[in-house]
Amino acid sequence: MKTKEYTSWRGLTAPPRELGGKPIKAVIGWKGIDILSDQFSVADLCRAYMQEVAALACGECSVGYNGTRLVAGMLEKLCRGQGTALDFIYMKALAGTVRFNSKCDFCAQSIQPVLDALQDLEMEFTKVAASPNPVTAGQYDVRIGAPCTLACPARQDVPGYIELIRNHRYDQALDIIKKTNCLPGITGRTCVAFCEQNCVRGEVDEPVSIRALKRVPADYATPAKKEPAAGSGRKVAVIGAGPAGLACASGLSDRGYDVTVYDEQPSAGGMTFAGIPPYRLPRQVIEADTTSIKAGASFKTGKRVSLSEVEKAGFEAVFIATGAHQSRPPGIDNWNEAYTGLMQGVKFLAAVNRGEKPRVGRKVIVVGGGNTAIDCARTAIRLGADEATIVYRRSRSEMPARDDEVAAAEAEGVKIIFLALPSRIINEGNRVTGVECIRMELGEPDESGRRRPVPVKGSEFMIGADMVLPAIGEVPDTTFIGRADGVELTSWGTIKTDDAMATSRRGVFAGGDCVSGPASIVEAIAAGNRAAESIDRFLGARPAKDDPDAQVYRELLMDKARYEKTALRTSRVHPDEMPVDSRFGGLDEIEKVYTPAQAELEAQRCLRCYRVVLTAF
Amino acid sequence: MVKIVIDDKHIEVPEGTTILKAAVDAGITIPTLCFNEELTPAGACRVCVVEVASEGEPDLVTACDTPVREGMVIATAGPAAERLRRTSIEMLLAQSPHSSRISTLAARYGAEKPDFDLEAKECILCRLCVRTCREATGVEAISLVTRGPGRTEPAHVEVDWDKCIACASCAYICPTEAITAEDTGDLRVITIAGNRNEFKMKRCGACGAYFAPEKQIEFMAEKSGLGMEKFELCMDCRP
Repeated sequence: MKTKEYTSWRGLTAPPRELGGKPIKAVIGWKGIDILSDQFSVADLCRAYMQEVAALACGECSVGYNGTRLVAGMLEKLCRGQGTALDFIYMKALAGTVRFNSKCDFCAQSIQPVLDALQDLEMEFTKVAASPNPVTAGQYDVRIGAPCTLACPARQDVPGYIELIRNHRYDQALDIIKKTNCLPGITGRTCVAFCEQNCVRGEVDEPVSIRALKRVPADYATPAKKEPAAGSGRKVAVIGAGPAGLACASGLSDRGYDVTVYDEQPSAGGMTFAGIPPYRLPRQVIEADTTSIKAGASFKTGKRVSLSEVEKAGFEAVFIATGAHQSRPPGIDNWNEAYTGLMQGVKFLAAVNRGEKPRVGRKVIVVGGGNTAIDCARTAIRLGADEATIVYRRSRSEMPARDDEVAAAEAEGVKIIFLALPSRIINEGNRVTGVECIRMELGEPDESGRRRPVPVKGSEFMIGADMVLPAIGEVPDTTFIGRADGVELTSWGTIKTDDAMATSRRGVFAGGDCVSGPASIVEAIAAGNRAAESIDRFLGARPAKDDPDAQVYRELLMDKARYEKTALRTSRVHPDEMPVDSRFGGLDEIEKVYTPAQAELEAQRCLRCYRVVLTAF
Repeated sequence: MVKIVIDDKHIEVPEGTTILKAAVDAGITIPTLCFNEELTPAGACRVCVVEVASEGEPDLVTACDTPVREGMVIATAGPAAERLRRTSIEMLLAQSPHSSRISTLAARYGAEKPDFDLEAKECILCRLCVRTCREATGVEAISLVTRGPGRTEPAHVEVDWDKCIACASCAYICPTEAITAEDTGDLRVITIAGNRNEFKMKRCGACGAYFAPEKQIEFMAEKSGLGMEKFELCMDCRP
């Protein structure tokens, strides 16, 4: 076979033909080998690739660990001009053994392109073996990723910490998590888990319970005492102690900056504190996650500050991470918060979460379809409501709330009325007695891609209620920014930033919900991490990191394609939960942490899909 | 119950039974190395690989940690499995050339002299010690350190000597020469993968002979809740 234009690539995403305007000679990765030129050595390409693979073989099984380093060593020897024809035969036997007798996917899948080359391009190896001269080593670009890692906005090394959990090494697992996620206890309970949506195990049976596994080291590890980082001690302010602000403060104090965090709330945590009820996220977990961050920065909480006040205090850079806490108007004609029983959902949750005891109605209506709506209904039913009913204008499949949250709410007796929209409050004096709703039907898709709900004329109906909690979304409150501050906003009321998260005012950066609009905790953490990096570069007068190929490689490495027949079907280990009957009357946490044995069993399901891609130019 | 065929024998076994257990019960021997019936299977040594005919799932699986499924047809010594087994054993021997258990196994498969060199480390990372210490002893002093991105030191077993009670269960279970325990009068010397430590032995209150490591006695006294006074005498002097 002619070497030039050989391909064995079986991935769903095609390998690139050029990168950054530079033509590619070959690409080798877990999904095959793709050759576009004959001006390089296939043996050397395989050598360089196997060196990377062998360095990542974990050691859980002897075949993967020994087999990959033996093949790597033989290729090394071959390329030094010391190989023999026998080595070629041994390599084939070893590579075949790695392919079909390794324990997890990493070695079994990674070795396939080398097997392809050994089988289809034999001449490339025998000619090297026949010559006593060493092969000139090529220039390669190496990328390593995993589909779960690349699906995560914070790019957490998921297989890395899962492996350590499997080996009961919780302290080290926590260290890995904390490199990219400063809130392991919070995210171990509440993360939306983009990783699980892109988990390759999901193609075999069900995704690995990554969120529940993350909680294991967060609960069991003894956090290492952090020594204060040596650094410039230059002053940076962070406005907002939510996930974005905390991640940025943590990243900056680790780099040796003198960080001050402001928040109008008395407690750190932002929306995780104000918006998430204790039965999903106990207050002491927020306390535990923020303790180490508080050790590295000064916190000025419980007082609202304006941007100009902060700037006057002599900071060299400011990061705005004030979130989106302002409720959108409920869109009900005669809405009047002076009536008893009418309250914005987030205000209700914030009051409960601060430990106050707001009056809870007997028949509670919650408006909306997101996690806040679910939280309101589940909180109300715990605190004495006889009935909690969610009214949502679209259908089940458009609901933005997490599926498991919706199912849990229903198990607790929360009713959901789909395709209905409250239009008018029924009241007797300032006492609410019900809500008039109108039936909706789904029309054409809107800009969000979901089908737009359209009212059905004359379909009005009444629901009795003594409390109505709208939870239809939040917008940022940017009134702490003055016109003279020169921080531009978008037409959506969010703060405008560039790729480096800089606002229109020099030295002022922004990120999290106040830039993106309401999003997830992990997206906010990722924004905070990036902001710390950007601010560090800005103050150090270093240019932004330039990696124009990142997106190409991300798509390639996120590809869930895999060779079949290397993984048995298994089922998820579910963490224990508090029985439904015991949940009412209090706000105690429902989900239990995995026992070490459960965690080990669930961690065994990880296929360890690290992928190595090597490009020859 | 699940119906399976194993080496042409039609048998019925309870759901959840591993292929290895089913084979043993049917009188069929599958070679193993990292398996011990008292411990969670690890699938580490890959020696018990067998062939199965199973739609959408692997054709080659390790018998120790794979549960049977209804209708599974298993060949414990098919040609593909035997080939993989031979190379896998060869690699283990290259890694641990002084282990008599591995040498015996290798001889049976005609792999007495490996075709390739591995820097011999003795420890084959089978984790029998890790599992014994955690599951049988309940001490959890030994764990496996694996590699990954940014974790470049070789995979190895790590011991926490503070937790170790010097019971020497690990030395007993180790299939290679990687773990040793030696009693020299008042001391027990334990070496785990090149990492050596000495432990004081306890003297019998009656005959004066050294009979067990002090830390092990303390551990047993605490675990049993009986108090140290119940552990003053050696086995011979106990009434």
